[in-house]
Formats: sequence, C-alpha cells, structure tokens
Amino acid sequence: MISVKNLSYSYSNDEKLAVKNISFEISKGETFGFLGPSGAGKSTTQGILTGLLKHQMGDVMVAGYDMKKVQNERFNKIGVSFEQSNVYSKLTALENLKYYADLFDGPTRDPHELLKIVGLDGRENDRAGEFSKGMKHRLTFARSMINNPELWFLDEPTTGLDPAIAATIKDIIRAEKAKGTTSFLTTHNMYIADELCDRVAFIIDGEIKLIDTPKSLKQKYGKKLVEVEYVKEGQLYKETLKTVEDADRQKIADIVKSYDIQTMHSKEATLEEIFIQVTGRELI
Amino acid sequence: MKLLSSYLKEMKIASRGFYFYIEIFVAIILLLVILVGVDPNPDSKMVEYIYYDMPEEVYEFIIDKDIKEGKIRQIDDTELELKPVEFEVSNKESGEIISYTYEEKKTVLSKTYQKLNPDTGKVKSTIYILDNEEDIQRLSVTTGDIAATITANEEGEFSYRYFLQGYEKERFSNILYILHTYSPDEVDAQRDLQVVREIGVTERMNNQEAVVPVFVTFAGALMGFFIIMSYIYLDKDEGVISAFAVTPSAVWKYLLSKTFVIITTVVISSSIIVIPIMRLKPNYLLFYMFLMIITYAFAALGLLVASFFDSISKAFGVLYLTMIALMLPAFSYYISSFDPLWLRFFPTYPVLQGFKGILVGQADLAYVLTYSLVFLVAGTLLLALANIRFKKSLSV
Ligand SMILES: Nc1ncnc2c1ncn2[C@@H]1O[C@H](COP(=O)(O)OP(=O)(O)O)[C@@H](O)[C@H]1O
Ligand SMILES: [Mg+2]
Repeated sequence: MISVKNLSYSYSNDEKLAVKNISFEISKGETFGFLGPSGAGKSTTQGILTGLLKHQMGDVMVAGYDMKKVQNERFNKIGVSFEQSNVYSKLTALENLKYYADLFDGPTRDPHELLKIVGLDGRENDRAGEFSKGMKHRLTFARSMINNPELWFLDEPTTGLDPAIAATIKDIIRAEKAKGTTSFLTTHNMYIADELCDRVAFIIDGEIKLIDTPKSLKQKYGKKLVEVEYVKEGQLYKETLKTVEDADRQKIADIVKSYDIQTMHSKEATLEEIFIQVTGRELI
Repeated sequence: MKLLSSYLKEMKIASRGFYFYIEIFVAIILLLVILVGVDPNPDSKMVEYIYYDMPEEVYEFIIDKDIKEGKIRQIDDTELELKPVEFEVSNKESGEIISYTYEEKKTVLSKTYQKLNPDTGKVKSTIYILDNEEDIQRLSVTTGDIAATITANEEGEFSYRYFLQGYEKERFSNILYILHTYSPDEVDAQRDLQVVREIGVTERMNNQEAVVPVFVTFAGALMGFFIIMSYIYLDKDEGVISAFAVTPSAVWKYLLSKTFVIITTVVISSSIIVIPIMRLKPNYLLFYMFLMIITYAFAALGLLVASFFDSISKAFGVLYLTMIALMLPAFSYYISSFDPLWLRFFPTYPVLQGFKGILVGQADLAYVLTYSLVFLVAGTLLLALANIRFKKSLSV
C-alpha cells in the first residue's frame, strides 16, 4: 500500500532535514505505527505521504500512485485525520461532514452514523465552533472516514482525548482494521502503538531506528530485564537491570551476594522502555 | 456538482460571518447618506454660460439695466479653461444632430456676473458671458452646467437657444430666470431647446447619482480584492484548506466558489445602492454583467496575492498599497481638472468610466464589452496563476 525509499525532507530546502533518508513498506491491511517523541518527524512524514508537503527526495508510492506526480483522484481511496483538528467552525457537525462528502467521487458514509460512532450524536446541528477541543478532534477523525478509505492516515488519533473517548477511538480503529483498512498511525503514546499496530517504526530526529512487530520487540528486549527488590541497610530498594549489559550483570551478582533479596523476576519491557533502550531517548 | 455544493457551503459560511454583513451594512448606510444628505441639484452652485448673439450696444444695455435693477452684479473677469472634447448637439424640435470635435485646450477670459435673489440679495448663480456659441457649448458639455445663446431679431424680440444635458427637467424652471425680465410664458414661446451631449460619456448625473459609479467600482474591485483575501486567511487559520487538499476535488473549484461568494455579496450590496438611486436608467443586464466580471477579476487578483503570504499581517503591505492604487482614479472622477494620462493605466479607471456610462443608461457598448473581455481574460489568467500557487502552498 505504501512504499517509501530513501525519503528525505527539509522545510527550509537545505541541509537541515526534518526527515532523513527513511525507508519502509506497509502492506495492505496492515496498521503501521510511527512511534517517536514530538518533533521526531512523524507529521512531516505523513505530510509527504498525503501530498500536503511537496515531495523532495526519495521514492514514494502511496496506494499505487507515485507521489512525484499530482493525481487528485487518489484521495478517493485515502482518508486523513489531522493532528490539529481543522473543521469549519461556522458549519454544524453535520454540515461539516456533508459538504466534505460532496468532495469525493465515490459513495460516502452516512454522516449521522459517523457522528454516532464518535459519540457526537445529539450534537449534529451544533456549530463546530461551539465544540470543545476533544469534540472537534472527534469530528476531524470522523470526517477522515467519510469516503470509506482503503488507506487511512491517523496523526496522533488519541492525543489530548480523555481515556474513555480514547478507548472509543481505539475501538473504531480496530473495527476499521477488521474491515481490511490499511492505516498509517503516528503517535508518541506507546500504549496506542502496542495495542493497535501490527508493526511499529521507532523514529527520532527524522531517522528510523528500527521497524518490528511489538511482539518481537518485546521478545528481543523484554526477557532481558530483571526487576529486583532488596533490603540494604534496613531500606527497601527496587531496580530494573539489563541482563545484556556487563555493568548490570555485575550489579545483579553483587546484589544477590550482598543483600537480602525480597523479589526478583524477569520482566516484559513496555514499548516505552524498549524505545528508551534502543534510542537512548524518552517518548515525550 | 462539486462546484455548486462548494459554493453553497461557502455561501453558508459567509452568511454566518462578519464580512458579509459589513458590506451590506455599509451599502445601507451609504444609501441613507446619499438620500438624506446629498442634495441632487443644489442651487447654490448654479453656473450659466451665456452668449449674446446681438450687437454690443444692445447687450450692454440689457446688462446695465439688470445691474441697475439689482438683479446682477459684475465681479472680476474669470479665466475659463476649455478642455478638448467631442460632443453632439441635437435639436429637440427638428431632431437634427451636429457633432463637434475640439482637440486643443483653450483658455478664454470671460466677463463674470453674479445673479442675485431680488428679495434677499443673496447670490443665486454665477454667469459667464462669452463671445461665441461654440465656447458655451463646450463649457456646458464639460461642466454639466446650463448654457444659452440669446438672439435679438430685427423687431427687437429676443429668442433663446438652451443647451442642456437632457436630464434636468426640474432645472428648467431655473433657466427661465437666466437673466431676465421676461415672464416664463414669453420665454417658452421663443425658446429653442438644444441638447448637448458629450460623446462617450453622455448624460450628466445629479449629485446623488454621481456617487454610484464610485461605489460600485469600489464594491466590485476593492471589496472583491480585500474580502476574498480575508476569507482565504480565515480558512488558513482554521486549517480547512489542508482538509480540502486531501480530497479529490480540484483547487480551482475551491477558489472559484470563493470568487462566486464574493460576486454574490458585491451584487447584493451594489443593488442596494444602484436600484433606489438610478431606478430605471441603467441597462441592468449590462450593469450586472460588467459588475460580475469586474468582481471576478479583482477577486482573482486577491487570490493570487493571498497565495504569496501565509498570514494577513504579512500580506498587509501589499494589500494596503494595492487598495490605494485602485482608489486613485476616483480623484480624477471627482476633480475633473485632474486627469493625467498615467491614471488611465490603473485598472479601476476604465471600470469607473464603464460604470458611469452603464448607470445613466448610455453606455458605450464597444467600450464596455471590450473591457469586459479584457477583465474576463485577465481574471482567468490571475485565477490560473493563483491555482498553480495554491496547489504548491496549500499546506501552509
Ligand atoms: N512548517 C514547518 N516549518 C519548519 N519546520 C517544521 C515545520 N513543521 C515541523 N517542523 C520541524 O520539523 C521537525 C519534525 O516535526 P514534526 O514532523 O511535526 O514532528 P512530530 O510530528 O514527530 O512531532 C521538527 O523539528 C519541527 O520543528
Ligand atoms: Mg506531529
């Protein structure tokens, strides 16, 4: 569905790159997560893939279209949910969806149904300008599904939403996945990536550090952590140590030898810990 | 279909916004100001140009008599400037039409009198006496004031040949007093009415009507230019342009539907002024066609400018200068002695001239159609350029 080779992008059209020589492939039906801290280049990548940012360097194929050429009809197959909600504040929720639906060539979804599944039923005829930030975000999200996209771009789909609504959004994404929709999802939230994505790419400073499935990442990195609680001079200490690093191994040995161990078990790392382990940076 | 739906959407958004009502509000206020505040034919400014076609002694005798009777008083001679002009004179009775062309500027020194109100002694009008008929015709046609030739036959009877611009039925009662002693009936019996019309621009407007071409020009040109930019920046601020950019709909449809919204607003606000003031005079078909084309062209210019700046504050300099430049031709419209050649290169100049003709119902069809075509083509080119620019910069 998406094939990216040696993609780079500079906002200032010079050596200062926001995205540096990245390559990846997304197959049909896959939910692919772009996980990285803010400023990593996730939205920039989505911008290039959706054509909002002009293609500069590298080969990009999206939904069978070469991004070097401009072909508007490809958007009949594509849905885009934006990080910053962008709906007409002077139009009602329903009007926002109806007029958007008119812009597509093929059949579109019933706006009432979409508003219902994002929990905006009952507010159809209220102007989006009166909505809270979260409601506008849900409207933007609902709008991205109006044309039944085969390929769905989701930029931070749950950021800033309260947990109950975030859960609804996650359910919708899962339901779309079950229908066979391919998704490109960017997030700095490792739970989202973990729960929803078939594969994740770790991106930092515009570079992809690794691409793998959450499961295999956990297998590779998870088993190698040991969490140990011990008593030292009457006080309880808790440490998480890596069994792959010599310094940590030595430390484990010292603790076992010198102190009173309360609990000790190998632990499955969260994606966040793996991210820190791989990139040396935190997800913020 | 997409275009229609997009237009309806933009109309809905506009009608729920601020600019839409501003323009209509301004039009209503201006209409009230014109109707209440502008006297269509103020007497105080009455000017008459007279040529006495008779021996000097006779005419001096008449003047002296009027001065003695306190009807008029002499003031300093005035230097009058006669502009190059082309006009025709048609005789109301015979239907005969004679054309005149004057290519040279000319300055004449004229004896000048003030006509006084016999009761109050206040100045009623200024009278310039010239020594030939061509000069008074020329002055009449370029200034819009009344001119008359007064002739005496062998029996010592006077007859009058008036040169009017055709509209001033009400003013006719005033001219009966041009100088004299005669009763209106007598004058009527001996008058010989001639209508002078400048070729190109013909009928004169009264003071209320004179505001209208300027208003519609600036409603169409300036508002088209300025308000479409405001709409674009509202959309940019809301980010809805990016949402539009990821649909299969073409950018030009978006731009064109915005333009149609502007045209609709301009048509509404112009009608508010034009219909009550000009009533049945204009050729409305021609008027609305010209207005829509002009608005289209200037809105396209606004779109192009908007495509270069990502916020209205950055565009402000260009916006401001363009608006000033577009307004300059209005000076020459109001101050007829200020009409330099370079001003004709401002796009609002032909617009103003075009509207002037259309609104009095005597448009020079070739002129209006030529400029309609010019603006239609120019607007389309600008829109095409704006389209290319927007395609490149929609995400900002
Ligand atoms: N419009 C822009 N102009 C210039 N630089 C930008 C623009 N948008 C983002 N950047 C820069 O590009 C880098 C990547 O940003 P972005 O793709 O938005 O990150 P993310 O979505 O991962 O948080 C950041 O350094 C950011 O400051
Ligand atoms: Mg982002």
